[in-house]
Order: sequence, then structure tokens, then C-alpha cells
Amino acid sequence: MEDYLVIEDLKTYFPVYKGMIRKKQVATVKAVDGVSLSLKKGEILGLVGESGCGKTTLSRTIMQLQPATAGKVLLEGKNLCALSEKKMKAERINVQMIFQDPYASLNPRMTVYSTLSEAISTRHKNLNKKEMLSRVTELMKTIGLNPAQMKKYPHEFSGGQRQRIAIARALAPEPKLIIADEPVSALDVSIQSQILNLLLKLVREMSLTMIFISHDLSVVKYISDRIAVMYLGKIVELGDAELLMENPLHYYTKALNSAVPVPDPDVEKTRKRIVLQGDPPSPINPPKGCAFAHRSPLEHSLEDAEKEGVFKEVVSGHWVEVHPATVDDYKQYL
Amino acid sequence: MPLLDVQNLRTSFHTRNGVLRAVDGISFTLDRGETLGIVGESGSGKSVSCYSLLGLIPMPPGKIEGGNAYYEDDKGKVDLLNCSEKQLRKIRGKRISMIFQDPMTCLNPYLRVSTQLMEPLLIHEKISKKDALKKAIEALEEVGIQDAPRRVNMYPHEFSGGMRQRVMIAMALINKPDILIADEPTTALDVTVQAQIMDIIKQRQRDLGTAVILITHDLGVVAGFCERINVMYAGKIVESGTADHIFKNPKHAYTIALQKSIPSLQGKGKELYTIPGMPPVLVGARRGCAFAARSDLPHTPEEAAMDGVFKEIEPGHCVELHPATVVNYKQYL
Repeated sequence: MEDYLVIEDLKTYFPVYKGMIRKKQVATVKAVDGVSLSLKKGEILGLVGESGCGKTTLSRTIMQLQPATAGKVLLEGKNLCALSEKKMKAERINVQMIFQDPYASLNPRMTVYSTLSEAISTRHKNLNKKEMLSRVTELMKTIGLNPAQMKKYPHEFSGGQRQRIAIARALAPEPKLIIADEPVSALDVSIQSQILNLLLKLVREMSLTMIFISHDLSVVKYISDRIAVMYLGKIVELGDAELLMENPLHYYTKALNSAVPVPDPDVEKTRKRIVLQGDPPSPINPPKGCAFAHRSPLEHSLEDAEKEGVFKEVVSGHWVEVHPATVDDYKQYL
Repeated sequence: MPLLDVQNLRTSFHTRNGVLRAVDGISFTLDRGETLGIVGESGSGKSVSCYSLLGLIPMPPGKIEGGNAYYEDDKGKVDLLNCSEKQLRKIRGKRISMIFQDPMTCLNPYLRVSTQLMEPLLIHEKISKKDALKKAIEALEEVGIQDAPRRVNMYPHEFSGGMRQRVMIAMALINKPDILIADEPTTALDVTVQAQIMDIIKQRQRDLGTAVILITHDLGVVAGFCERINVMYAGKIVESGTADHIFKNPKHAYTIALQKSIPSLQGKGKELYTIPGMPPVLVGARRGCAFAARSDLPHTPEEAAMDGVFKEIEPGHCVELHPATVVNYKQYL
């Protein structure tokens, strides 16, 4: 299978200004700092990381909602970064997003019907009323809502139902790539599993490609084929979902993995946690060299910490940032 | 004698659509130094029950319909639900304190952290400002904030989410309370920070001998943290027991269903278990077992209209017995 989406050395920087009248750029926030990824058609890539690591900025840059500073986003070979606003608008039908908070992402003044019909008309421009009605009905059935409710407003639905509507809205223009930005974080456990089931079913049935963003490893592990772990604007580990979870190499992934609470009192009592010290460094003035060094429990010298890590394929399909502070016995991989 | 003894607490909200029974007759006890978890979905009444204890329910529309909550310390016994506001004010923030879900909204953005940390000390104790500041710095150091003497003069927006939650914990524990109520303290935080915060609460609990009530919807968090767990559904406690009872030998269909729907416990590719239906609407009069409509256990419509019986089935393990909630329920009657 060929790569459907290729991201090459993508960078998104935000300038930081000081002063009101004579603005002066004092620093840059490197939200996304050289990310390269590729997705095959029909693949689900899980993107994990703490808040502030650039997951959302990366997805917004892929959508071109945020202009890239450097690098390329190739969708079926077409570079989205080089497209004009108008052409991008046409291209955006193929890439749709699902957001975290279904309370904020749906227009409270639009009925379900008007929300969905607006989204459908981006691809199918000249539908008459009857055709539109049948399409909306169809769509509501797919996501498991009663079509009789299409004249209702978002506030009349529960959180889980609203997230279903948000999914329907994303699917309405018949996209090929879905970016789901923490779609289940705001939901209860019991509702969460309903939404995950629905997403997985739809992606498989419609052979969609999906980027699934979350900070919850257990969810990401369940849903994705491959997982990319992001830390301070960079991908630090990438690999097959199950392999990566069974044998994480980077200490950040290990820490993330061990921080996920296990609902079993025995396991919780016996297992060893890797609790990271401190917070991630600020992306405004990131430390020189390895950004993870000061939180790492591994021993390393100060000179080592100032060196950059090398992102390397250590086992076939398993990439990791090799650095004295990030992996055990790093020399074996060099 | 337990430290806190809640009996048949009922809180309701009088809305335009009728009376909403948010907490519908719950009873539980809390011993000194114990950790109690209250688990349930949103709207199950877990927060409202704890807010009722501290008199934090907005009245109207809220109303505490009945019940007692005896809090006992060396100075005697107080019924939190039926005491004067003056008495309650002496207990709140001093003997019983609370951490809320969202540290961004619970700290006052206009005041320095030092002012906010010193406030409970200055209110409840005879202490000079200078000593209070010293104590505030100590409290920050104890929750793992580095460079506390400088940090204490900062404003909340200068802290990250995890640090703000630490400030909240420091503030809640500054008077060395007997009971700490933590309402979803880590829901708004990342997993790694969540682990740090839970560690800090645990460690401070060990140092001070505080009893903790942890309210959460995440079964994973309670598993490693709590000794006893109450599972709440539709304003009632449907199962309570030790962590082992709840996780190894759950009896109530809802407890079992909640655990089945956690993604990490299931194989990849398999469809996740979901609880059919929706939680019931709590407005209006109660009609039988609230879980019956979602249960896949066989039961007749007449049985569904009956109330369940909350009963101890083994030492320390109580469950609501009803045809729709417990497999082979008759054996326990």
C-alpha cells in the first residue's frame, strides 16, 4: 500500500512579541519542530503526548488551519502547504476533524439537520430538499441516532450523543482522512466505549485513514495500528501499537505507560511506577540538546544532555530518539 | 466510632421540570486516616453528596431533604446537615477541606498564591501574618514545588496545571484537616501529572493521618488508591466494599459493566463492551430499580417496579439486591 499522507520535516513556530506600539519579537514558540510521519491508506495512527507538546498544533497544521513555518504536508502527493486559500478549501473536504468538546464544537443555534446538511453540501452542491433529507437521515442512522431528532438543537442531546453528531458532521463531506483530536477525553467511561466502537466501525467500513490524538495511552493502544509519541514538538518514539506498548524504549513512553492507572488493586500494589519529575520545559526557550534530559531518571552527564538525540529505526518499524538520557544503554543502537 | 457517619442523606434540586433527586438516601461511614473512593458516572450524585456535607449546595434550587451526617472529633459530635452556619464555618476549611476538579477556576486569579494560602490560616488560627507566610512556604515545599519562597508571591496564571493543583492541595491541607474531600482532582490533568498528584495526596495523607474521600469516574485511579469504594448510580450507593471486593468479586451488574467497558482490560480489535441505554432521568417520583431498564439480567416488569434491598452479603461488602442487578440474587436474601 502506498502512503496516503506524508508529513516531511514539518515546523510550526509562533512568534512571541513584546511591547504594544513598537512590537518586537522576543522569542519563538516551537510548537511543532521537525515532525516527519507517513500514513498508509486505511491506517489509524495514534498520537500521544502531554498537553502543550504540540499534538493539536500538528493536526491544525495538517489541516492548514495554521500555516506551516517550514516543511511539507503531502496528501496523495499534493503539497497542502503550497496551495492557495481557495484550492485548500476544496481540498479540505477530504480532511475532516473531530474535536474534544462536543459542547463547544457544535453551533448551538443550528439544528442537527442544518449542521449536517451544510457539511453535506460542501461536497454535493446541487441537492434538492428531498435528496438532502434522505442523506441526512442516512447519516444519522449510521452514527446511531434516531433521524426523528434531526430538528433538535445540540443542547437537547447528551454529551455522548453530541459527540456522535460531531462525528456525523465530520463524515458528511465523505472525507478520506479524519483527524480526531481527543474525541473521548470529555466523556464518561461507559460513553467513551460507545464512541470508540462507533469510530472504529466507521473507519473500517468506509476505509478511512485516521489520526487519533489523545493523552490516554489505554485508549490509543486499543484503537490504533501505529503509535507516535510526541514530546515538546518532536516525535520521540514511533512504532506498531502493540510492540510499542509491550516494549517501549524511550523513557518518556515508559513513564507515560506506567502512569496509566490499572483497574486492578493487585497490579497497582506491586508494579513499579516511573513518575517523572517536574513539568515539560517551556517551548519558548527549550533547553539546549535533549529536551527530556532534565526529567530523565537515567544517569547522564551534563555534556551529554546538551547533545541532540538521534531519531533512529532501531528495530524494523520501531523508531526511537536515541540519547543517553532517553534509552537504556544507548550505545547499542548507534 | 467512625470519624464521619452519614445516614440517609437526601438532596434534591427543585427545577422547573420537577424535583430532581440528585442524592437519594445514601449512608456511609469514614474512619480516621481511611481512604474512601466514590465512583460513578456524571450525574450519579457523587459530587452533590459531598457538597451537601459542607453546605456548598446552592439553596435554592437545592434542598437537603433529610438525613444526618455526624462528624466527631475530640471536641464532640456535630451534625453537619443540621448545624448552624457558624458551626459549619469553623469546620469547613479547618477540619474538613476540599480540592476541586479544575484548579484553573478554583484559584482566584487576582490574588497572589501567598494571600490565598495564608487565608485559611488567618481565619482559623491565631497567627501573625509573618508566621502564616512561613507556613505557606513550608506547605508549598511539602507538595513538591521548588523555589517556594519566590513562587509563593506569584499569581495563579504563572503556574502550570499540575502546579496549580499542587497549590490547591497545599491550601486544603494547610490546617491539617481530619478529612480531605478530593473531587476529581486529576480529571483535568495529563496522565503523568495525574500520577504525580496522586502520589502527593497519598504521601501527605500518610504524614498527616488525614482521611480522604476521592470522588472520580475513573476506576483505574481508585484501584491503586482507595481502601474502600462506594459505587454510585442514579443518586444511590449500589455497591460498597473494599477494593478487592469491588474489583475481584463485583456483584452489582453496574459495577461489572463499568469495569468491562474500560479499554485497557480488553483485547485489541474486539468490540468494547458498552452498557445499553442511558442513565435514568431523576426528575419525579422514584419508580423501582433505576438500573432495571439497562440490565440484561432476566426480570419481569413487576420486579423492575420493586425497590432493591441494600444488604451486606459478606463482611464489609454491601450490594443492592434486586433481580435486575445481581445474578441469582435470592441466595443473598
